[in-house]
Amino acid sequence: MPTWLKIVFAIKHGLIIFEKLIAASSLLLLLLLAIIQVVARNFFDTGFSHMDVVTRHLILFIIFMGAALVSEQNKHIKIDILTPFLSTEQQEQLIRPLLLLSAFVCSIFAWFALSFWLDEWQYAPSNERWSVYLALILPIGFSILSLHLLLLTITGFEYKEPKPRPIKHFSCTDLK
Amino acid sequence: MIIIILALILLAILGTPLFAVMGAGGLVASHSAELDPTVLIIEMYRLASQPNLIAIPLFTLAGMILAAGGGTKRLIKLFNALLGWMPGGLAIVTIVSCSAFTAFTGASGVTIIALGALLLPMLEHANYRDKFCLGLLTTSGSLGLLFPPSMAILLYGIVSGVSIDELFLSGMLPGLLLLVMLSIYSIFSAKKLHIPPHDFSWHRLFSALRGSIWDIMLPILILIGIFGGFVTITEVAALTAIYVLLVEMVIFKKIQLVRDLPQILIDTTTLVGSILIILGVAMGLTNLLIDSQLPMKLLEVVERNIDSQLQFLLLLNLFLLLVGAMMDIFSAIVVVVPLIMPLAIRYNIEPVHLGIIFLANLEIGYMTPPVGINLFIASQRFGQPILKLFRATFPFLMIMLVWLLLISYVPLLTTWWQK
Repeated sequence: MPTWLKIVFAIKHGLIIFEKLIAASSLLLLLLLAIIQVVARNFFDTGFSHMDVVTRHLILFIIFMGAALVSEQNKHIKIDILTPFLSTEQQEQLIRPLLLLSAFVCSIFAWFALSFWLDEWQYAPSNERWSVYLALILPIGFSILSLHLLLLTITGFEYKEPKPRPIKHFSCTDLK
Repeated sequence: MIIIILALILLAILGTPLFAVMGAGGLVASHSAELDPTVLIIEMYRLASQPNLIAIPLFTLAGMILAAGGGTKRLIKLFNALLGWMPGGLAIVTIVSCSAFTAFTGASGVTIIALGALLLPMLEHANYRDKFCLGLLTTSGSLGLLFPPSMAILLYGIVSGVSIDELFLSGMLPGLLLLVMLSIYSIFSAKKLHIPPHDFSWHRLFSALRGSIWDIMLPILILIGIFGGFVTITEVAALTAIYVLLVEMVIFKKIQLVRDLPQILIDTTTLVGSILIILGVAMGLTNLLIDSQLPMKLLEVVERNIDSQLQFLLLLNLFLLLVGAMMDIFSAIVVVVPLIMPLAIRYNIEPVHLGIIFLANLEIGYMTPPVGINLFIASQRFGQPILKLFRATFPFLMIMLVWLLLISYVPLLTTWWQK
């Protein structure tokens, strides 16, 4: 494997670790904040408006990181009418241009997301600027998604679906 | 413009991720409407502020924790003790367990993977025919879509603006009706095959109840939470997720915080991300289509040819069955719902009734080629060709079509709770 390709693989592996870290911690934080809100509302008759803003943005973190990770597993929702009839080689030839196209679409979205963010930043009152920082997930999320799809175009899919455990002999009596 | 639309359809057929196709569609639509594509981003940002959206990852997390823990076995054991003594008992146990599990995992294929491997050998051991077992398990992968806390209902409510509580309430009776219809078929099949039911045992029932008392509390918590009006949908989702996590970690000790939880969190985000990214990029596209008066133009065409509600419902079902056969349920909700809502309102169809008809059609779409995802997952899990599975599901498909006609033409089944 040439050195440049090794570097590409290393970047992708690093990106996957980063995405997993952000994805898992965002979901965990979302759960914790939601629980705190439940307790605050039902037991202390109060709520934290700042927490609502954070949870609204956390869902975007989850969406983008989850979408990037699902790209790695080649499990994005698709209309798979044609692919089941193609051989594995044909499928592999077809997938790379499609991944590149998807990366291109995401990069356009990243560009307009940045333009949106800059507008938000410019017009946000100073006491709300902290929430605008959270909205950075829009351009960054689309950029990460685009980068991941681009890296996949070069490396192809490494992820192998774990083989399901063989179906064992099992009867009702085994449940007792 | 037509060439671009055809190119996008071709890209979708070739297997381009749907979020990219819809994103490209949104960019094209904003360009042709001479609008700044930033509107697409604004729509996505607006989506994040939908209060009920947070319920989707939290309920999915609860489902994933249940699947990773021992929830599946406990569920089968409980329903087997409760219903296994009836004629066709094990088949009924399969139907009920799978629908309970699917309600949590959102018909993402987890049911066939997690429960199929347990139930197939059990059904075979009980002397059910191979074809019946495969058909039953493939069908069961999407049952329960109409029960709380189904992700499909949550998404439908978010996209259409219809109250999620009302959708859950409306889906209960049609969902139960389907379970009863499939159970009756199973009883007849078991009698035809001379499969003896096992004896009812109080001891077995108490043992199963004792073992799954914490699981039994879960639907009670959800139903009281949603319909009792004590907490919001999002709060129920958070409580469900933390409850399931504590039960699996502290009581059953099936999940360890460091060893298992990170992977469960990652699996949840990948499932949620794959669905909600489509919603995110497609919101802008569908709003642009609405702004371009597409639903009104569609309405004009339909009004010219369709006079009655009866005809409209028939056409709607045919159209949705076609959509269900071609598209995944979640992308279909995002794209199709905003377009057909004005049409349904014009023909005096209640929004909740439309929601249940829509989801019922898409539920059937899970087992119809070419994109019947249950067929693909079952084929992979049971090592059987798709055509064989389709033949096996055919009797179940026919029953579901009869069920669809019933819920379409008897609105009372969905709107019984309205005054």
